[in-house]
Amino acid sequence: MNVAQTVPNDRIDTGELTRRLEALARFLRVTDPYLPDGDLVAAHTLVERASGRLTLSLDHTVVALAGSTGSGKSSLFNALARFKLSPVGVRRPTTGAAHAVVWGPLEPANRLLDWVGVLPRQRFVRESALDGDDEASMRGLILLDLPDFDSIERGHQLEVDRLLGLVDQIVWVVDPQKYGDRVLHQAYLSHFATHSGVTIVVLNQADRLSPTDTEVVIADLNRLLGEDGLTGAPVIASSAKQPGMLQDLRSALENTVANRQAALRRLAADLDVIGDELGAMFGPPAAEDEVDRATVRQLSESLSASAGVAGVADATAGAYRHRASAATGWPLMRGLRRLRPDPLRRLHLAEPVKTDSVSTDVVPRTSVPEADAAQKSAVGLSVRAVADRAAAPLPEVWAPALNAAARSRAGDLPDALDRAVAQTDLGLEQPPSWWRAVGILQWVLLGAAGAGLVWLILGYALAALGLPEIDGAQVGSVPLPTLLLLTGLAGGLLLWLLLRPIIEAGARRAGRRAEQRLRSAITEVGRVHVVAPVREVLNAYAQAREALGVVRSE
Amino acid sequence: MVGPSAPSAVPSASDEKQQVKAAINPSDRTGGGQVRPANLEVPPQLERLATGLTRLRAALGSVSYPLELPSADEARQVGSALAAQLDDYLLPRLSRLDAPLLVVVGGSTGAGKSTLVNSLVQTPVSTAGVLRPTTRSPVLVVHPDDLPFFAPGSGGVLPGLTRTGQSSSAPDAIQVIAAPTVGPGLALLDAPDIDSVVDHNRKLAAQLLAAADLWLFVTTAARYADAVPWETLTTARLRGTVIALVLDRVPPDAVGDIAAHLGEMLTANELGSAPLFVLPETALDERGLLPDAAIGPMRVWFAQLAEDANARFTVVRQTLNGALAALTPAADGLADAIEDQVRTARSLDERVEAAYRTARRITEDGLRDGQLLRGEVMARWQEFVGTGDLVRGLESRVGHLRDRVIAAVGGRPTPSHNLRVAMESQLVTLMRGVAADAAEQAYSAWHAHPAGEALLHPDLQHASADLPQRADRLVRDWQQWVLNLVRTEAGDKRVVARGAAYAVNGAGLAVMIAVFTTTAFIPTGLEVAAGAGSAVAGQKVLEAIFGDQAIRSLATRARAELLTRVEELLAAEAARFTGLTAAVHPEAARGTLLRQAAAEVEKAREELALTGSGS
Repeated sequence: MNVAQTVPNDRIDTGELTRRLEALARFLRVTDPYLPDGDLVAAHTLVERASGRLTLSLDHTVVALAGSTGSGKSSLFNALARFKLSPVGVRRPTTGAAHAVVWGPLEPANRLLDWVGVLPRQRFVRESALDGDDEASMRGLILLDLPDFDSIERGHQLEVDRLLGLVDQIVWVVDPQKYGDRVLHQAYLSHFATHSGVTIVVLNQADRLSPTDTEVVIADLNRLLGEDGLTGAPVIASSAKQPGMLQDLRSALENTVANRQAALRRLAADLDVIGDELGAMFGPPAAEDEVDRATVRQLSESLSASAGVAGVADATAGAYRHRASAATGWPLMRGLRRLRPDPLRRLHLAEPVKTDSVSTDVVPRTSVPEADAAQKSAVGLSVRAVADRAAAPLPEVWAPALNAAARSRAGDLPDALDRAVAQTDLGLEQPPSWWRAVGILQWVLLGAAGAGLVWLILGYALAALGLPEIDGAQVGSVPLPTLLLLTGLAGGLLLWLLLRPIIEAGARRAGRRAEQRLRSAITEVGRVHVVAPVREVLNAYAQAREALGVVRSE
Repeated sequence: MVGPSAPSAVPSASDEKQQVKAAINPSDRTGGGQVRPANLEVPPQLERLATGLTRLRAALGSVSYPLELPSADEARQVGSALAAQLDDYLLPRLSRLDAPLLVVVGGSTGAGKSTLVNSLVQTPVSTAGVLRPTTRSPVLVVHPDDLPFFAPGSGGVLPGLTRTGQSSSAPDAIQVIAAPTVGPGLALLDAPDIDSVVDHNRKLAAQLLAAADLWLFVTTAARYADAVPWETLTTARLRGTVIALVLDRVPPDAVGDIAAHLGEMLTANELGSAPLFVLPETALDERGLLPDAAIGPMRVWFAQLAEDANARFTVVRQTLNGALAALTPAADGLADAIEDQVRTARSLDERVEAAYRTARRITEDGLRDGQLLRGEVMARWQEFVGTGDLVRGLESRVGHLRDRVIAAVGGRPTPSHNLRVAMESQLVTLMRGVAADAAEQAYSAWHAHPAGEALLHPDLQHASADLPQRADRLVRDWQQWVLNLVRTEAGDKRVVARGAAYAVNGAGLAVMIAVFTTTAFIPTGLEVAAGAGSAVAGQKVLEAIFGDQAIRSLATRARAELLTRVEELLAAEAARFTGLTAAVHPEAARGTLLRQAAAEVEKAREELALTGSGS
């Protein structure tokens, strides 16, 4: 997994590194709205720093000498440069600002040093015509002499922390007195545990120890480094006072410079660290049907209840009954029916709403009563259930994002529900054709009864006046007018009675149909307002997970 | 060159310091010879001081800092350091003012503490070496005559450390070595380092330093500007410990420069009056000791200190007084931290209460405006009245029986039963909803507070798992209560009690309905007809039985009872949060106790006047 750790000679491909960095940038873009800022700061910093470093010269290697006060960083710096460039002193702390020395021409290195933040007056050029080719093997090295990190000057420590984040390779300078200091190991070395590929530990002032003691101390130092997790980093004994003891360090640096890999290796190690840190925020891939049917059904149930779907469906059935009675009832009684209100009109749902895209009509608010406290509670519970269901397989850190997403449009829900109810076609616009036929039949029957009545009255009147009777047609033994009257009245009544169960069945069917349509409209509202935002987060999770896989080069 | 070269830059302003200087600079001694401090009169105030310290120790032992606050971490450390100092130093030292002067040699790892001790006693008693840290268990070197003072169980200093005869790797062991080369009345303690990777060393060193009568701080040319030792030095100065410094391993050509710089730093840190010894880097002799030329002046200095009992006693009292004086501010700081805890706990509780107050208000509103009765409940009430069950049940026993037969034959529940199920489920849903909202609100309110966040566990995000069951139980208990209430109230109205069982049943239901409908029922939309009609019907039926006033009072009582029960339920929910801060509240009294004990110690100290001219 850790590229830098496996084999130091394993070369790191710039393209591969760029691909991983791009994946990290993509990861940050996707997760930024959802994950806590604090967890992403390190990754943001790395992306920024890496893109900065990669645009600058990769032919140069920035090596920092870091260590405690009095460990001899500056002496080592001067000894390596073979000039007295950085002030050496007995007063502690000596070096307050970073010094840099460049092997080779200053110009291309200058931009790099600007970026690292070394003051121009503290930059030196090592190479001169006098050296000949002595220093050619070091060409491309930029050596930094850092301030200490453990003295009473807090500013030094801040400067060291800043610079350690930017350099390509770190040479930790320790000395026989201080190699076991807590601040060195706990605040620094253990934090660079994954960077052993770009770390060299130098036991300086080795001339103060006998060769046997040196071996003992180096063994102990190796043990401490092992406890810090820095196994594999070379440990070199050196001394600025005796030139012979500098050779190991010098050849290690020459090696680094020749490889031109330190910058890439450093960034790769940083990416490994960040990748591992971010990996803790990811678990298994989010399932395809993250929000299952049962949860969505529960959501649409509670939304329907709060939108008053049952009431509207009942009102639809009532309206069917009302309108059917008005259309098919006994004509003389129809007027009475009209005295009672249409249940749908009372809910402001009688007028169909134009829903096509060209319509500019505003959808009017219905008069369906507002949801009560229990219904609101039920909606809250089911929205929460959607978020919880989606969050269940994911790591804890995603739960707040999912919760917030599920509720992101909660404020719009009541209006969206009302709008959905108002726009749903309840199926009562077209009165069934049989209503009309029955209506006409009722009128015919009434007409027949009327005709019979008139005939009878006329017959009585003629009889009373002593006029000759109209020659009454007879059906069997019953006179026709009487039959007309009785059949007309009885037929109308009978029809009304016969139709009642049919109308009732029709009303129930209309109620059911309306309920079905309303429910599917409401389910759609739930999908758009609750489930979709949750899916968005899950989508981001999946994308971020994929990008992180690239970052961790899995 | 070498020797007690106290930086002369700043003549000490305070009397105390001058006296210390006099005390630990044996050349200034005034004679006084061999007066053992044991012969000095022990004033009665000492008694009071000891009592005060014991009480302070007890108070320190009882306080805790349950909340994770910035002040708590510090307070825990200070608290345990104070307790350790009381146990290890103050109490034993007060009881034996005549015990030898304990010189603790402390400093950074690799500073050469062990070599220094070995050289001072001219015997390799403590292992010196190149590995860091070298010394892991402390070594105490005393004059053979003084051994009893440090014997285990003698009531001497550092009673918590096991005494061993030889070097031991056991933690909390101290190696005691008798060496006649140490003057009587002096004890040298080679302490572990204060800044190596070995955590145990650091803790032990801090414990030993707190027990020192005189701290011999050893640093080196490479180390004298390190941050960690200076922090320790500042702590010691604030505690009033008498300090002497050794600057070790100085390159011979840099002695003047470094000594001057260190002197400046000491003066800047108000330690200008502390004596400073400078030891140049030299080769060790064959026994691993510093050559006489280097260590000689220090040995002489210690020999003089050993001879001068008064000087020693002054040092002891100076450090003791400083340690006692530092107790009160430290204890006050702890009491402040406790107050901080209590304040934070209150504010956390307040957040939880606010969340659950909202829950209570929503429930109350839900019950007040009768909205719970909308929809289904209203429809079923209509069913109940419309079928005439109640009326028939009241009118005749026959009707009642017939209804029961129909219900039994038809296998369907009676309408009254339907009504109750609906109301139950609605009430339970309401309670679950408000409890879930409140839990979430309280959780996020705590989450925003660092101390609150530390207390949270994931379960608290949701209402408790058995809440639905408890809410269910609550509603059914309440219904039972209402039925009992109606039964009791109806007891002396036997006139209408011919259909008693059913009537009471129906009346109970009606009272439940009235809870929601009598107060501020505003009929809208769907239940204009149903609601208004049935409300009137329910009212009328009951008025017929009990009379108007009785109904009103029944309804009010039933509603109040329901609210009380809901409040209890929500309080139990809130207690899941407030229970986590409950441990903090008793601390307030303990903090006060701590302050009182510290004030008592301070008063006794002033009366005792350890360094005043009187004693």
